[in-house]
Amino acid sequence: MSNAIGIIFANSGSDSLQGLALERPIAAVPFGGRYRILDFALSSMVNSGIRTIGLVTPHQYRPLLDHLGAGKDWFLDRKDGGLFILPGVMHGLSGDNHTFCIKNLQHNLEYLQKDFVENVVISSGNQIFNINFMESLEFHKDKHADVTLIYKDIDNFGDLNDEMFLMLDENQKVSKIRNKQGLEKPMPILPHFVNMLIIRRELLLDIVEKYSSIGCIDLMTILTTNLEILEIYGSPTHSTIGTIRTVKDYLDRSMSLLALEVREKLWLGMDRIHTKIMDNPPTQYTTHAKVSNSLIASGCSIAGEVKNSIIFRGVILEQGCKIENSIIMSKCHIHANAQTNYAILDKSVKVHGENVLKGSLNNPLVVLKRTVL
Amino acid sequence: MKQQECVALLLAGGQGSRLGGLTRNRAKPAVSFCGKYRIIDFSLSNCTNSNINTVGILIQYKPFLLNSYIGLGSAWDLDNPFSGVHILPPFLGDSEGSWYNGTANAVYQNYEFIDFYNPKYVIILSGDHVYKMDYNLRLKFHKEKNSEITLATIEVPWEEASRFGILTVDGAARITKFTEKPAQPDSNLASMGVYIFNWSILKQALIEDNGDYQSENDFGKNIIPQQLIQAKRVYAYNFHGYWRDVGTIESYYHANMESLKEGHFLNIFDPKFRIFSNEDILPPHFVGSAGEIENSLICNGCIVHGKVTNSILAPGVYVGEEVEITDSILLPYVKIHKKSIVHKAIVGENAEIMSHCKVGTAGKIVPNQEGITVIEDNHSIPMGSVIEAGENVYRNR
Repeated sequence: MSNAIGIIFANSGSDSLQGLALERPIAAVPFGGRYRILDFALSSMVNSGIRTIGLVTPHQYRPLLDHLGAGKDWFLDRKDGGLFILPGVMHGLSGDNHTFCIKNLQHNLEYLQKDFVENVVISSGNQIFNINFMESLEFHKDKHADVTLIYKDIDNFGDLNDEMFLMLDENQKVSKIRNKQGLEKPMPILPHFVNMLIIRRELLLDIVEKYSSIGCIDLMTILTTNLEILEIYGSPTHSTIGTIRTVKDYLDRSMSLLALEVREKLWLGMDRIHTKIMDNPPTQYTTHAKVSNSLIASGCSIAGEVKNSIIFRGVILEQGCKIENSIIMSKCHIHANAQTNYAILDKSVKVHGENVLKGSLNNPLVVLKRTVL
Repeated sequence: MKQQECVALLLAGGQGSRLGGLTRNRAKPAVSFCGKYRIIDFSLSNCTNSNINTVGILIQYKPFLLNSYIGLGSAWDLDNPFSGVHILPPFLGDSEGSWYNGTANAVYQNYEFIDFYNPKYVIILSGDHVYKMDYNLRLKFHKEKNSEITLATIEVPWEEASRFGILTVDGAARITKFTEKPAQPDSNLASMGVYIFNWSILKQALIEDNGDYQSENDFGKNIIPQQLIQAKRVYAYNFHGYWRDVGTIESYYHANMESLKEGHFLNIFDPKFRIFSNEDILPPHFVGSAGEIENSLICNGCIVHGKVTNSILAPGVYVGEEVEITDSILLPYVKIHKKSIVHKAIVGENAEIMSHCKVGTAGKIVPNQEGITVIEDNHSIPMGSVIEAGENVYRNR
């Protein structure tokens, strides 16, 4: 058991998900056939032996709580510790700039006060990864660090916008935290901060107390300002797949699951990703089904053609329909002879026969929840 | 107060030796069924759906995998603070105690468990049947008839009636005669081996049965006939629905395969009467670019690169490239490697078939067990092996 508790900021929203995050925070967006994005952060913490996890929720938290229940599927329905809901302060969804807004912690200070553990592991809730934090916690302890920032070496800045990069000295101590805007274009491989960190609980309490008078300030801003006086180190990881901010991100991260090496990192190792169990029956294929290079969850009935796609639980694909490069979320019903290409269908969408839904790789077509076409 | 109206006892101790390699390592109720389920899921889910929260599971044969599967019963919502699932193995006391010797003896040895909850009614279930039944309807029938013992019955085809325990009933559904495997059946009502007793009646019957040294201590053979002789009020509750005893390789195979038919009678898809199971959390199944799947059931965690036709793939199965699977049942975590061909086979859990194997090839003119090949759990079939249809392949030990 690790000497840490967890906090997941599951309250970040996005306007660039074209409606996928309209009625839910990014953390609650379904992903990978049977998961929600939050599952990856939650399971990683649980698999690291963290059994007390606080979840900062946004205003629209129904989908999150529907998914989580008492946390039983993550073994978090416990006497000692367990899952704690930390209601976020802002009405509506917080902006992208405040990943770790201090005010959210200030209003839930008791969660931090009443535990006795040494450290707090903090993660954002909009990333796809499977990390065992044990290694970083060991590192944090060995270095007697105040804060350990988790980073990934990355050489492709293409789709990284306002993300942060670290400058490290030979002892892995962080000498500078800067964002992309300050970078000259052709750069060598740089440690890229992946929005996960370990911080001493006492220090975090101090910070929250000292900055309580300032409205909303991000924890990372505070750490950057106090870089000189704090012992801040960087610990590497290799098992992140990526952040989800835009529809393009969502499509890319989803489709990357079709590659074996990504699935190996994410799903096929020792540490499982846990999720809400539905007890669906196995998926049924009829004689007309034609499926290739696709991920298909349980409880589906498949009579159509599926190629390079991800099909969620309980989807019905009728004979003659054609699904290509698409993501079909749970309980969708595609009638005979309908076609989709580069489309993302949110839950419970009905597509009647002969409809053709077509998006493109860079601009996939998103169909809102419960739409009937 | 711990008293319950009704306690269910699930008989899960039998070896199920007629299932060959499938039950060599585990008790029959823990055998995988229809992909993601195990046989015991049906009885346990029936209890949950009937609001019967106190279930005693009598175990004896190779119990470890069954016990770990059942756990606290939370997968079936049976982890209830006042009752819940109880695993009941044979035990020793000061002077008494022995292995369970027959179904009635097993229940007799656990009379303290039943007394602890002091129920009015006791339901005796068999852990190796596949069916959906609301026990409350039966209990209601039991009360309405003011019955002391109620047997669940099902109509079987007349020509097969001589294979079952056959009941003769009067106009009010009261049982007048019970004959085990009659040569000339005068009814086609067969006993399903599922009983409701008034606890007071059952207790008395078990004590009498235990004192009878001639008795085989079996519900069907001894208890029920004895109670009929004593003119107890024994009624038949006729069940209309899907029910299968999956006690033999052939019946197991056909019961599985029936689920591939459209409009399947058991309808495991029916959300109003769900069958729960304690599944492993696995990612969605992946179908490779060359994968072809036709008329099959595929579970989570499978990886399919080959061709699968008329088959059932349980969770975590791997089907390699250029593999052909037809009319087969692959149990959890089976691996079939490159260019192997598997026809009409049941491949046991975690078994591995190396590349270039042929399983279920035509051999004898009349093969055993309808030509169904069975490969034992955890077995590894070496590269290039040829296995004839109808063979039972066991692991060396």
